[in-house]
This record gives sequence, C-alpha cells and structure tokens, in this order.
Amino acid sequence: MAAKPRVAIFDFTGCEGCELNQLNFENQLLDMLGHVDIVEWREAMDDRPGEYDIAFVEGSLSTPDCIKRINEIRRRAKVLVAVGACAVQGGINSMKNTRPIEEVREEVYGKDKYLFPTLPALPLSSVVKVDVNVRGCPMTQIEFLKVFTALVMGKQPVEPTSAVCVECKLKENECVYERGMICLGPVTRGGCDAQCPSVGQYCTGCRGLVPEPNLKAMEDILVTHGLSVNEAWKRLHLYNSHELEGLKS
Amino acid sequence: MKLNELIQPQEPRDLYLPTMATLRDIKPLNALETLYTVELPGGADLGHQPGQFVEVSLFGVGEAPFSISSSPTRKGTFELGIRKVGLLTEKLAALKPGDKLGIRGPFGHGIDVERFKGKDVLVVAGGIGLVPMRSLINFVLDRRDDFGRLIICYGSRSDEELLFTEEREAWKKDPGVDFHVTVDRGSPAWAGRTGVITTLIPGLELELGKTVCCVCGPPVMYRFVLLALKSRGLSDESIYMSLERRMKCGVGKCGHCQINHSYVCQDGPVYHYPDLKSLEEAL
Amino acid sequence: MDLKFLASDRVEALVSHLMHQKAVYAPQRMGRHSVALDKVTNPAAVVLDYSRTMQSVKKYFQPPRDELLKFDLTDQSFAAATVEPLDAVLLGIHSYDRAAIDRLDYNFSQGQPEKNYLKRREGVIWVGVSYEPDEFHFSGSVGIGPLETEGFDVFLSRVGGGYQVETVTEKGGEILAGFDLPQAEQGKPSPGHFHQHIFLPQARLNEVMAASYSSPVWEETAQKCVGCGSCNIVCPTCYCFNVEENVDIKVTGGTRERIWDGCMLREFTEVAGGEVFRGGLAERQRHRVLRKFKYLSDRTGHPWCVGCGRCTAYCTAGISIVSIVNRCVSDFEKHPTTAV
Ligand SMILES: Cc1cc2nc3c(=O)[nH]c(=O)nc-3n(C[C@H](O)[C@H](O)[C@H](O)COP(=O)(O)OP(=O)(O)OC[C@H]3O[C@@H](n4cnc5c(N)ncnc54)[C@H](O)[C@@H]3O)c2cc1C
Ligand code: SF4
Ligand code: SF4
Ligand code: SF4
Ligand code: SF4
Ligand code: FES
Repeated sequence: MAAKPRVAIFDFTGCEGCELNQLNFENQLLDMLGHVDIVEWREAMDDRPGEYDIAFVEGSLSTPDCIKRINEIRRRAKVLVAVGACAVQGGINSMKNTRPIEEVREEVYGKDKYLFPTLPALPLSSVVKVDVNVRGCPMTQIEFLKVFTALVMGKQPVEPTSAVCVECKLKENECVYERGMICLGPVTRGGCDAQCPSVGQYCTGCRGLVPEPNLKAMEDILVTHGLSVNEAWKRLHLYNSHELEGLKS
Repeated sequence: MKLNELIQPQEPRDLYLPTMATLRDIKPLNALETLYTVELPGGADLGHQPGQFVEVSLFGVGEAPFSISSSPTRKGTFELGIRKVGLLTEKLAALKPGDKLGIRGPFGHGIDVERFKGKDVLVVAGGIGLVPMRSLINFVLDRRDDFGRLIICYGSRSDEELLFTEEREAWKKDPGVDFHVTVDRGSPAWAGRTGVITTLIPGLELELGKTVCCVCGPPVMYRFVLLALKSRGLSDESIYMSLERRMKCGVGKCGHCQINHSYVCQDGPVYHYPDLKSLEEAL
Repeated sequence: MDLKFLASDRVEALVSHLMHQKAVYAPQRMGRHSVALDKVTNPAAVVLDYSRTMQSVKKYFQPPRDELLKFDLTDQSFAAATVEPLDAVLLGIHSYDRAAIDRLDYNFSQGQPEKNYLKRREGVIWVGVSYEPDEFHFSGSVGIGPLETEGFDVFLSRVGGGYQVETVTEKGGEILAGFDLPQAEQGKPSPGHFHQHIFLPQARLNEVMAASYSSPVWEETAQKCVGCGSCNIVCPTCYCFNVEENVDIKVTGGTRERIWDGCMLREFTEVAGGEVFRGGLAERQRHRVLRKFKYLSDRTGHPWCVGCGRCTAYCTAGISIVSIVNRCVSDFEKHPTTAV
C-alpha cells in the first residue's frame, strides 16, 4: 500500500451522538489508526488545516457559515463521507423544514434569534457532492468500520439498500404491526440489523428511505392495519423531510 | 417423476474456489478499456469456446464475469478486455504484470464453432461487444480454411472508444475479411463512417443460405440489429446472440442471471435466436 | 404398517432419547406468538403443535450468511471454508418444509453439484409432524398433505392425547430403538382441512401461468407492494444469493461470503452503468410467482411453491400468492386464448 491516507473529521450541527460513538471503540480504533494519519479531529486535536484523502463529516448544515465550511472541506477532500442521519438526510434537524423558519428560530434562540441566521437544516448532499454515506442515528460502529476498511483499501463501500423488513425476517422477529404499532421498516433502508424491531420497538426510519419507495403502498399498509397515516407521515418526516420534499417535486 | 430421480448422482464440488492466475501483460485499449493477458498456473490451457466467460476476482474487492477475448487457438495465455465501470474493474486496472487474480471458469454456453464450419460468418459487434466477438474472429482467421467469408460490422459511440486498433488495421487489409466500422459521433479527426451500427447492414454482400450471424452489444442494440438483419432476409435459424445479465455464481445457482426460465450463465450467454423467442424478457 | 403411540406427556422423553444420539433441532417458542427452529438444549422447550416457523430448515443447509472462503491479503492466498455435515435430528418438521428441501436438493445437485450445500445436508434424520392448516396454508393444492411422510424417517401424526408414530425408514427405526412405545390404537389422524385453495389442478397451472404473462394482475399487485423482498426471504424454496467480500479491520485478510438475496429486490438484476433488467415491481412480482408456478415446474414437473403460506403470512402489505394465482386462473377461464 502507498502512503497512509490522510483522514480528517468535522462536525456540524448535530447531536454529537455519532461522534461520541466513533470515539468509543478503542480497540478497533487502534487497528484503524494504524492505517491512516488523522489530520483533524475536533475532539481529539486542534483545528489544523491540511489536505486530506478522506473527510468524515457529521451533522447537517444550518447556517450560511456551515455552507462556506462544507464547500471548503469538499474542495480539500478527495473522498467526502457523510456520517450519521443528520449529515446524510438532514436528520432530525431537518424537521424544522416543515415548520416556518421564524418559529423555529424563536424556539431555539429565543430573543437572540436575529444574531443567528439559520437555514433549513440541509443534508450535506444538498450542497456538495457526497461520495459515501454512513447511515443511522446514531451510525453503528460495525458499519463505520466497514466503510472505513473499504476506504482504506481504496474502494467504494457498498451501501445496503433493501428494507429493514428483510433483516427482521432473517432474525425471525415478530412484526410490530401485529402489536398494533406503526413501523416505518417497509420503506426504510436496512443495514442496522433491524435494531429497533428486534427489541420490540418500531422503526423510526432513521436510515432514510429505500430507493424508489412505494409510499402509496405504505399508506395502504397503515390503513389495512387501522393505523393513523398522519401519525406515520409525521414520523417519517422526522428523519426524511428533506428527501420527502424532493420526492414531492 | 420424483425430483431426486431427475438428478444423476455426481460427486459434489467446490464451485466457488478460484484458481490463482498471474497477470502477464496489461495494456490500455482506450481511455476506459484495458486488455489483460492472463496465465493459469503452469501455463495450463483454459479450454474455452469463443463466447464463453470467466469469473475474475480480487480478494477483498469482488468477483465479476468477463468474456474471454482471445481465440482458443492461441494457447499458453488468454485475454480479457475490460471496461472500467466500478469496484472490481477499477482495481483490476491498477494491477501490474506479475500480480495475482482469481479465475473460475470457463463458464456458459459459447459459440458452437462446429456448426459454423463451411459457412460465411457475419459478426455484428457494438461497443465492448467486440471483446467476446474477437475470440470468434480470431478463431475463424486461425482456421481460415474451415470457414467461408468473414464479415465484420463494428459500431462504437465515438472514434476515441474504438478498440483493438492494430487488429482492426490488419482486418481492414486482409482480403479475406470484409470489415466495416462506424461511429455514432465522430471527432474532427475521424475520416470514417458515422451513423449507428444498423446503417452498415443494408449495404452488406450476403449469400443468404450460407451466412451465420453472431450479434453482441449493449442491450438497446439487439432489437434494431435484428430488424435490419431480417429485412436482409437472414433466417432466424442463422442468427446467434450473446446476452449480458447480472451474474454472481456463473454456475446456475445464484439466480441472478435468469431471463424467464433460462439461466444466462448456463444456456447462454450465446443463444440461438429461435430459442430466445420464448423468452419474453430477453430482448 | 407398524404404528406406535406417543402420549403428549412423553414428547419430552422422546426428545431426550434423540438428544443422546445426535444434536436435535426443533421448533421452540421465540416471541410472544412465534415459534422458530433452534438447536434443542432443553427438551421441555420443544413445541410440536405450531402453525409455521418464519424461517424453514433451509437456514441450516444454506445459511443466510455462508462463508465460501477465507483470504489472506498479504500473500493473496486463500483457504476453502470448512463445511461440516449437519449430522442431526430435525424434529417436528412439516411436510411442506420437507418437500421444499427436495427442491433445494434439486437446485444444488443439478448441473454442477455444489459441495457447500450438499455436504451440510448429510447425516440428517427427519422426524416429521402433522399440523392443522391455518388461514395461510395451501399445501393441499400443490399435492402435499399434512400427513405426507415422503422424505421423513419418522413421522408423528397428531391424534387424541398425543401422536401416532410411524417408522418410515430403517434409519428412523434405528434412532427410535430403545425407546419403548406402546402400539397405537386404530384411530385415524386428521387429514387436515385447508382454508386456502388454488382453484385448478396443479397439472394445468403451467398453461394458466403462461397465459398470465401480460395479465393486469402484476401491475395491480405492484401498486400494493413495497418491494421489501420479505416474501423471498421467508420462502423455503428461494435459494438466490449474492456474494460479498468482508475485510477485517487490520486489512490483512477477510472472507468471501454468500448472503441470501431475492428477486423482489431492485438491485437483483442491476448491472454496472445502472441498467436494471426487471425495473418495475410488476415484472419482479411476475418473476417471483412464475418461478414458483411455471419456470421450474416446466423443467421438473413439480411446482416450486410448497404451499407453506409464509410469503403471504409475513407480507406486511398482505399480498397473497394464492389470490394472485387464483386471479390468473379465473382470467384464464374467461379468456383462455391470451397465451403468449
Ligand atoms: C457474460 C458476461 C460477459 C461480460 N464480459 C465483459 C467483458 O468482456 N468486458 C467488460 O468490461 N465487461 C464485461 N461484462 C460486464 C462486467 O461483468 C461488469 O462490467 C462488471 O461486473 C462490473 O463490475 P464492477 O465491480 O467493476 O462494477 P460494480 O458496478 O461496482 O459492480 C458490482 C457487482 O455488480 C455485478 N455487476 C455489475 N454489472 C454487471 C454486469 N454488467 N454483468 C454482470 N454483473 C454485473 C457484479 O456482480 C459486480 O461484482 C460481462 C458481463 C457478463 C454477464
Ligand atoms: S417490524 Fe417493521 S421492519 Fe420488521 S417486518 Fe414488521 S414492518 Fe418490517
Ligand atoms: S430499525 Fe429503523 S429506526 Fe431502528 S436503527 Fe434501523 S433504520 Fe433506524
Ligand atoms: S413481502 Fe409483500 S410487500 Fe414485500 S416484496 Fe413481497 S409482496 Fe411486496
Ligand atoms: S411461494 Fe410462498 S407459499 Fe409458496 S413456498 Fe414460497 S413462501 Fe411458501
Ligand atoms: S450467474 Fe448465478 S445462476 Fe447464473
């Protein structure tokens, strides 16, 4: 292998759930670090400029300043990886897209709202080209490591695209619809090993929509099970409002 | 009949283990395509028919099917012509002579060259479809006396993407070869013919009862070429087509390559056109 | 025929008897309502009276993740995965699931016989059990009754107070040897009453399905389908797979594995450059159903659907394969000439 790839890590507006997660797996981390030079890691090092082979970016974009920064990062990175639901889909932050922005600013910043210009919370891909996604809220270590090894080998990681239901069936989970719960699994990308249904919870759609989702069929599922379409749509917007806006237009 | 009575008991085999072969030579054909010369351990003969394919793999990267581009008449090594499109093909392009790669095969049903003997052979190749057809072309050239005329129609999107420059020059000069080439869009430097591949067919000199035709190219090409061939009066029985589908196992197990009831990795990739007519999903 | 009687309260003792000879895999309680096949560690946990398991015995012969080889990136060498015979008693299996294994056996033996599957298949003793069909079973329509003993070594048919035990093969006799059972009374076990039926004899289905090719039923079904692929993943006769490379975190080696795949998933036919050969859900649904009722039965004379009802029971969208087929049958009866 040639020179070690230079890796940088950045975060924008997010809950930091992903970043903490990343720092958590010490053993594998050491193995990983053997293969790369970390050039910027906010929680581990100071901000220091440099050119990088791989930039991991967390969080969504919500201020004009964020947009300037992400453009700069894109310019300097060979491969840009969006890490976590916020960065990939706009994440929880993008919920505010469906409410008047003034109202959100009021709520978040109170009377100081005029000091903080904010945009709707955008996924990175709405501003720059994203090469790789690590999905999930928070993203899982296993998946992060998979993406990481692929990138170290210089290959494009393969993203799971089939629905969460497949993973449920592999684990022989009882479907939570049978217990009268709304589950977004049928239209949500798997790859999480059906984390939530496996512990009796419904899927909140944190990994984003499957490619070409059949939302009409999803609606029928809800109706047949006597569940509220409105409530389901509200939940679907939690992680996917940006994508859903895109589907509409 | 019971299901187990339909099967002849045979010793089960390891179907997915590659043979580690050595890359002997690698040279670019154009900006996207590369020609690989591969040697099996001990220079063993691959033992293929024109039109067959091998599964090529790199550990940690993946495995994919590629047509064998060299003629079985040329022994010692075999050749693959590969377009850079994704994971595996990009990694292959970065290999150097002496590097190892995994080979399984040859697989599939190729061209029954025996049935072509004594016939005029018409090859219609679009784009990268020339890669497998080159195996047939060189086979005919190496066994010149067994066959009648050799007619080649080759179409490409642009002149920059044309493959096998030297060989094409040789075919053009060979009095035994009737070679035609066209490009969809020519660069300013292109002096040859422009237009889609079907425009070559009306002008061909064909001796109908004596001609067999083999077609290989991108999915969109088949229907149009077929119409053009039929309007020249070629019979269904004289047409063969090499199809491409997603493949994983190459041995009829993984289900990916199916067209209706047919497994392309077993019954194809080269099909006799009359057999394709019952496959609605084929063309 | 020599029939013995196994009282319900002696099932546990029978399981222990079997466990002394071989590993035993049997249905056991999993969730609130569900039952799954698993290796038995506690004989009391075995459940013989159940409707269906979400996954069939297929998972033991073609595991969802199945290592093909291990590679070493430092010297580009590899070693074949070790594949061991299951060598166990499979207890409490329904007749349709045994019939499904005949189909997988065919797939992995025809053409080039595959070691990975066939090796695992060795050493299995099949102990079947009858069942009462629920609202999804329709095995009767494909010629597999709940009392069908074909392929089993021992078969347990439910009767009042327990099971009639039939020793079907010599191997079955051997595994039962030493376990004393009284002679069974002459009572007949229930042949099972199906609530779901395909309205046409099997022998004519090929013809009907051929005519269904351009039926509107595929598009109509597609409207309701989310394309999740669950119907493939739970089907005991689906065997399609994809192959994946897994590299360890040290980037020194890894494994090549095959994983279950399904023709309802969009990527199944996608090739480089983005061409998808069966892009629409209607085409994919048609392919799935025709694989079960036409493509493979044209070749072998046997339908590739064993009527277990799983694909219907576990489809969140409630799409029923019986309804699809019956719709094709009734369309055919109205217009038998639309054959393509
Ligand atoms: C019979 C046959 C002969 C072929 N011959 C040639 C040839 O001579 N030269 C050439 O350049 N290409 C050929 N192809 C196409 C070649 O297989 C694909 O370009 C290749 O799979 C792309 O792999 P990748 O990993 O680089 O691309 P990715 O897009 O990263 O592919 C990922 C995986 O998808 C599958 N896949 C993607 N595209 C195809 C495809 N077109 N066919 C089958 N599986 C696919 C493979 O399993 C591959 O591992 C042939 C295909 C078939 C079926
Ligand atoms: S619980 Fe949710 S993800 Fe699991 S099968 Fe049911 S709908 Fe699909
Ligand atoms: S089940 Fe749904 S919500 Fe839970 S981790 Fe998976 S994708 Fe996210
Ligand atoms: S399980 Fe149902 S919804 Fe999912 S792909 Fe199959 S038919 Fe469609
Ligand atoms: S198609 Fe459905 S009913 Fe038939 S065997 Fe498969 S899962 Fe069972
Ligand atoms: S490639 Fe696997 S069945 Fe044809």
